[in-house]
Amino acid sequence: MNTTIEEIDGKYIATLNGEMDTAAALEAEEVLKPLYQSNGKDVIIDCNGLEYIASSGLRILLSILKGARASGSKVVMRGVNDDIKNVFKLTGFITLFEFE
Amino acid sequence: MKLKTNTSLIIIIAAAVLLEIISAAQYYYTRSLLAEELEHRAESEMTTKAIIVKTSLNMSEASLNGHIRDIKRNLSRPDSVFRAVEWVLRTHPKVAGCGVAFVPNYYPEKGRLFEPYAYREGDEIKTMQAAGEHHDYTKSGFYKQSILLNAPVWTEPYIDDVFKISMVSYTVPIWNKDKETIAVFALDLPIYILGDTLNYRHIYPSSYDVLLTEEGELLAGPREDHVQRKDVEQVVSIINDSAIPKTLSKTGRSQIATFYSLDDHKKGYVFFADFKGQPKWKIAVVCYDDEVYDKLRAMRLNIGLLMLAGLVILSLMILRFARNDRRLQVANLAKERIDSELRIASDIQMQMLPRQSSQIKRDDIEICGSLVPARAVGGDLFDYFIRDEKLFFCIGDVSGKGVPSAMVMSVVHSLFRMACAHENNPARVMQTVNETSCEGNESNMFVTMFMGVLDLPTGRLRYCNAGHDKPVIVGAGALPAKANLPVGVIPDIVYEMQEMMLTDGMTLFLYTDGLTEAKNKQHAMFDIDRMMNVLSDSADLKPAQLLEKMNHAVHAFVEGAEQSDDLTMMAIRYTPKHYENTLMETLVLKNDVHEVTRFSNFIKSVTKKLTLEQSLARQLRLAVEEAVVNVIDYAYPPDTEGDITVHVMSDGSTLRIQIIDSGVQFDPTAKEKADTTLSAEDRQIGGLGILLVRELMDSINYERIDGQNVLTLIKNL
Repeated sequence: MNTTIEEIDGKYIATLNGEMDTAAALEAEEVLKPLYQSNGKDVIIDCNGLEYIASSGLRILLSILKGARASGSKVVMRGVNDDIKNVFKLTGFITLFEFE
Repeated sequence: MKLKTNTSLIIIIAAAVLLEIISAAQYYYTRSLLAEELEHRAESEMTTKAIIVKTSLNMSEASLNGHIRDIKRNLSRPDSVFRAVEWVLRTHPKVAGCGVAFVPNYYPEKGRLFEPYAYREGDEIKTMQAAGEHHDYTKSGFYKQSILLNAPVWTEPYIDDVFKISMVSYTVPIWNKDKETIAVFALDLPIYILGDTLNYRHIYPSSYDVLLTEEGELLAGPREDHVQRKDVEQVVSIINDSAIPKTLSKTGRSQIATFYSLDDHKKGYVFFADFKGQPKWKIAVVCYDDEVYDKLRAMRLNIGLLMLAGLVILSLMILRFARNDRRLQVANLAKERIDSELRIASDIQMQMLPRQSSQIKRDDIEICGSLVPARAVGGDLFDYFIRDEKLFFCIGDVSGKGVPSAMVMSVVHSLFRMACAHENNPARVMQTVNETSCEGNESNMFVTMFMGVLDLPTGRLRYCNAGHDKPVIVGAGALPAKANLPVGVIPDIVYEMQEMMLTDGMTLFLYTDGLTEAKNKQHAMFDIDRMMNVLSDSADLKPAQLLEKMNHAVHAFVEGAEQSDDLTMMAIRYTPKHYENTLMETLVLKNDVHEVTRFSNFIKSVTKKLTLEQSLARQLRLAVEEAVVNVIDYAYPPDTEGDITVHVMSDGSTLRIQIIDSGVQFDPTAKEKADTTLSAEDRQIGGLGILLVRELMDSINYERIDGQNVLTLIKNL
């Protein structure tokens, strides 16, 4: 899978591409770790290219969310497919994140 | 309650009014009887007294008449008349004086007037010539009356010149041979004598009798030390005053007047009547109301007091009855409330049991249970449910019966459910139930209990017995179950788990002693032998049929005798599924998270082979990946290498994935479910994997088989 972060208009945009299984999540976490301290900047997670996510991926998203909440910013999920949205539902994460 | 008090009050008041009416009626009836009696007594008093007075008068008359001849004989010797009159006094002690008043100039030698007269002076009898300058008897009433009437007559009362007391005189004219009156023979009777005669006794202590002349003048009455003069005069004036109303007595022989005495206004009655014949006097009886009716009043008072006492007793009785009645009503209400609460409790208890309507719909297991409490609620329990392809079941019997047992039963039932949520080992479940039950068990109630966990894919039955009757494998005898102590006795006992394999078609029959100890009318027990007998040829019956057969046998045995204990039965029939696998793919992984990439490729190729649609394929991949990662993370101790085998099997309709490792015993199904409702801050990082497995698969199953952890995920296609 392919993971990138960029900062546009004072917002972090993380783009997740491909399948984030447990092994891929280990690599993705290395890329996404800076977002654990978003320093008051909103985080947009672009999932348009994300096909699959396992619970280890969800844990990374939760960690980003906790960091953002702590600094008063928000996390917005963008372009989440139905199957992944279903996973959010099953885990109760759907109520924690904002979706676009 | 208020209504009752009012009713009691009304009854008491009605009783009081009734009693008063009876009392009043009685009083007036008795009073009228007494009034009649008074009339009767007064009249008979008057008759008697009249006779006595007349007798007294007659004696005087007779004595005078008896001496007429004597006087006549002595007419020729005027001086001897003195002796004749003196003799009258001698023979009649009541006579005060006696004299013969000759017509003027009858004895010229004696002067114009001559009246030889005898009288008493103390005990002596003296005689004198009574006529003189100061005493011209021709002017006296007695003389004139006698001469005028020329017949014997009693005079009106008068004050005697000599004695200065009231007298009446009886006069008889004395004739010569030519029937000419020559003298008046007179006898003086002091009126007090008549009065004394009249009043020698009375009908009532203060009543008295009065004698009056025809003209109504007082002739004789009681002595003044008995009755005051003015009272007597009042009575006389009442009799004489025609303005005062009088009533005629019932017999018509006397008249009655009512009066109030001058001094003390005492009510009194005067009865009076005329003498029959001569003299034409009147007699009266005076009596006072209080003496006549006082006893009646006293009686009325006494009766009144008695009635009051009776009324008080009656009131107390009524109040007591009312209170008892009220108590009964309250008790009835309380009983009704308790009954209704018991009904509700019974419903609640029955709802706790697995419901017939929500029977487990599976083809590998059939269960039927029944509980018939001896009372509204009972102390028996049975329960069963399936979690993660394992059947958890229990049967129990709380010591005692009724509400206390039922309460313990519901506690034990809850404990069983809670403990089984995260524990597959029945001995440990039993231990948890026991420890909690022992806490604060001051009523020392205990529960015999049998619980089992049947792994449905394998048929492995793990069980633990706590002093309960051994279940029976139908057609094969009792399950070898160690007794152990019942639950609730000692908190820190270690329960022993036993196990056996159930094979296809085996039926387990569980029961409480309500079955074996069911008694018929002769107090014989159904017993274990009869039960075994029923079970011996029932191996092929379905659980519901088996229970029906047993029920039938028990009812036939007890013949309608009252059920003395709760009767509970449960039958479990095991018919395992057989899979004809059309696909079997295997992958062996190392316990390294980087191996997940290999797994991902493996599972994608399998779902492709199964031609699953994308969404389902992703779900399946996620569930299995989470389960595999879980094993990678936890199965082997850190820095220990181990294999993890993944089998994917399908019979076309059911997909089963088995994840097998040889690591430490680890049961992910016993993990508590992560709370998905918490906020981001409170959410824990762990627990998501197994949550997703449960959510995405139809069921999961864990078994430790031959030193291996076997986790099976099942998805119906």
